[in-house]
Amino acid sequence: MAAVKVNELHKEDLPWIIEYDESKCIQCGKCTAVCSFGAISPAVEMRKKSGNINEKNTYEKTLVIKQNVGFENHCVGCGMCANVCPNGAIKAVRNFDDRYAIRYRAEKGESLKRGGRSNLNTEGRTLDKIKIGRISQMTDPSLDPVRHTFEIKTPFGRVLSADKLGFEVDGNKIMQTKPLPPNRWIYPIIFGDMSIGAISSRMWEAIAIATAYLNEKMGIPIRMGTGEGGVPVSLLKSRYLKYMILQIASGHFGWNRIVETMPEMIEDPAGILIKIGQGAKPGDGGLLLANKVSKYVQEIRGVPKADLMSPPTHQGLYSIEESVQKMFLSMNAAFNFRVPVAIKVAASVTSVAVYNNLLRDPYNIVGGFFIDGFAGGTGAAHEISLNHTGHPITSKLRDCYLAAVHQGRQGEIPLFAGGGLGQTGSFAADAFKLICLGANGVFTGRLLLQIAGCCGNDTEKCNACSTGNCPAGLTSQRECLTKRLDIDKVAENLVNFIVATDMELKKLMGPVGCSTLPIGRSDALITVDKHIARRLDIQYSI
Amino acid sequence: MERFKIETLKNENRMSTQELLQLIQAKIDEGYTDFEINGCGQHNIGGSSWARDRSKTLSFLVRNPGQRVGAMGMKGTRIIVEGSVPADTGWLNSGAEIIVKGDSGDTTAHCAASGEIYIGGRVGTRSGALMKHDPRFKIPEFWVLKNTGSYSFEFMGGGIAIVCGYECEEFDSVLGKGSCGGMVGGTIFVRGKVENLSHCVEILNLDEKDIEFLHSGLKRFLDKIGRSELFNKLTDFSEWHKIQTRAEAVKKRMPVAEFRQKEWISGGIFGDFITDDYAVYELAGTGDARCRIPQWDKKLCIGCDICVKNCPQNAIFSDEKVYHSEDNKCIGCGICAALCPRQAWKMVENNREITK
Repeated sequence: MAAVKVNELHKEDLPWIIEYDESKCIQCGKCTAVCSFGAISPAVEMRKKSGNINEKNTYEKTLVIKQNVGFENHCVGCGMCANVCPNGAIKAVRNFDDRYAIRYRAEKGESLKRGGRSNLNTEGRTLDKIKIGRISQMTDPSLDPVRHTFEIKTPFGRVLSADKLGFEVDGNKIMQTKPLPPNRWIYPIIFGDMSIGAISSRMWEAIAIATAYLNEKMGIPIRMGTGEGGVPVSLLKSRYLKYMILQIASGHFGWNRIVETMPEMIEDPAGILIKIGQGAKPGDGGLLLANKVSKYVQEIRGVPKADLMSPPTHQGLYSIEESVQKMFLSMNAAFNFRVPVAIKVAASVTSVAVYNNLLRDPYNIVGGFFIDGFAGGTGAAHEISLNHTGHPITSKLRDCYLAAVHQGRQGEIPLFAGGGLGQTGSFAADAFKLICLGANGVFTGRLLLQIAGCCGNDTEKCNACSTGNCPAGLTSQRECLTKRLDIDKVAENLVNFIVATDMELKKLMGPVGCSTLPIGRSDALITVDKHIARRLDIQYSI
Repeated sequence: MERFKIETLKNENRMSTQELLQLIQAKIDEGYTDFEINGCGQHNIGGSSWARDRSKTLSFLVRNPGQRVGAMGMKGTRIIVEGSVPADTGWLNSGAEIIVKGDSGDTTAHCAASGEIYIGGRVGTRSGALMKHDPRFKIPEFWVLKNTGSYSFEFMGGGIAIVCGYECEEFDSVLGKGSCGGMVGGTIFVRGKVENLSHCVEILNLDEKDIEFLHSGLKRFLDKIGRSELFNKLTDFSEWHKIQTRAEAVKKRMPVAEFRQKEWISGGIFGDFITDDYAVYELAGTGDARCRIPQWDKKLCIGCDICVKNCPQNAIFSDEKVYHSEDNKCIGCGICAALCPRQAWKMVENNREITK
């Protein structure tokens, strides 16, 4: 037997410990076969044969399932072994005394990276402490989701105040002297920004299919953010492009193909989203580790197989004014000013300053402001960023909205909020509350993975999106894992989830008496938390 | 006893609703069963009253009434209104016959559960909402000569409504828009164009029984409202349809899988880069679904057959001292590699990427 020394990685150091019941095991091998991390293996153990101390010990060999101990192949608690075991003989159990994070850094000299969301969640969620408390009771009739017509749509694109519309009266005619900025009425939920490469081809396509289906079969005009990992040319050339919000981030991945395909596009995209930052890793660029940069990802992004680290900022942008000039102008010009161009930033203490600046944009080419909160998800980030940097979404969204209200300019640049929505189960409630606080709409990405079968959570379960070994095939480019994902089932589940969310949104709009989105209707909200009431300027109720 | 006549407006003095209803009640108690009322907007005329002799019919001939004519009307009551009426006629009708020669306002026949309501003109929005049928009582009927306003027949649970679409050629829909939301039962017969109905319902063709019902019913209806000359015009049954709750099977939408196969970009959007048959691997599957694949090294093998004996899938066999693991049986569990005394079996990671 190998000698054991203190300064090695031990089973007890790991975040998850495999509990294995030999008496129930039939040695079918499914648990070790299914484990994409190689965290468990069949192994031979010695068992003492005789209990008689007068005889020399004899041993026999027996086959068991053994936990592997290694930085590259340790258990992340995904639970697939338990799922396939016919007898309940094996499961991963959380090790509350683990030392992995320290051991990893000490051994590797590297920062710890993972996917998922912030795992600390020390503050609790503000949105869960807010209730919808203004219910129509005789003051005005509640609406009924079954019989009333609800208009669940929100503008995407620059909205001009009446005096800037550029109408002139010429005799009996009203003349429009200036072209209006592009504006689209879309569903207030956007499938958010997960790139090809970060998620598997099947997962990305499933989202695209669900988007098309919701638009064409359910009449729900939802849009999908492409993320920045390129867009397949066949999609660019298809009529479904009109449901896609093309993202340009600091890596500019895949834009050559988008540009090249322009003459063959039969539809305009739904919009362009300039990504400056994201809630999960604010101030940091995109990250795609080499083991996920498969051949087609290399091709579509135009890079070799290597860790892809996008710069934290767009190279060549040094100020807000410059970003308006260069990025907004160029992206508007790319589609001849027909397509709304929006910007996405990580929520930050500086969000209001940015928003105010954009509101003053004299060219009216800023079509939306996306704010991504602290609890947003990611395919890969440094854990230090995930757990410790960023700003919760709620107060920052509110600040931006109120900043516009104070200037009488709310709604001119539509606000979209995201980051941790649906985290505690009710996406519709989160969306509704943010809309009442001033959002025109919300976006979500992480939730889509959970709908699709993600086995991770926000308390350190799995979160191995960055490794390429996603056991559900959501964030892997390994064929054996990607093909675990049932594209039709995923797309169907996404459709169902949005249909259910749509009904739930109506179930919240109805009692408030709104048949259109209650954007900024903060009078509908109450909270039992005095600090939240004061900070968000909503009614304090006990 | 003779007909009791009530003038509700005398010398600019208008009788209140309460005064009128209490007067009617007092006269009913005296034995009157036949009333003629020249109203002045008084509400609830004809409702929740009954002749003290239950074998007799309580009759009202009414002009210029207010809202809720015949509301909570009972079996044995007949109300005829000369002219039009405002909202809520026949609300909660529980058996009365209510005839309105002109138009009727919003929510006509709202919650009607029995009796017959005959309207000789149009009815307003939300008419027929929540009609229902208690099987111990006669099925409610609600006849309309012209059309209904929007959102009619919401939450309808039972009963029969007949909308004849007379003089409605100018409208896109004789049921307005968004009607039948939440409808779970009952039948609406309709003549003419219908649009924008709730997804709860479907539009069907008439069967023979329907035609028989309409044929006799229309005659009765037109007689009641004094428009029997329209009988021929309204009995071209090719112009009629019926609306009923959509059968479950039809309500189902297209499966997304079918959408992908029939309408989505052929070959998938990644078709330029990868080949994907969209087959789904089972967990711990065989062949390409394996995370790890065993490899056998001839130089190390001593031919002990431990691997053959212990393979849970019976995937390993030897042929002339050459060992094979069958791809379509092996799940890549690694038991062969773990048990081999000479490490002749090794597990190799299956890192194959999804590719063309």
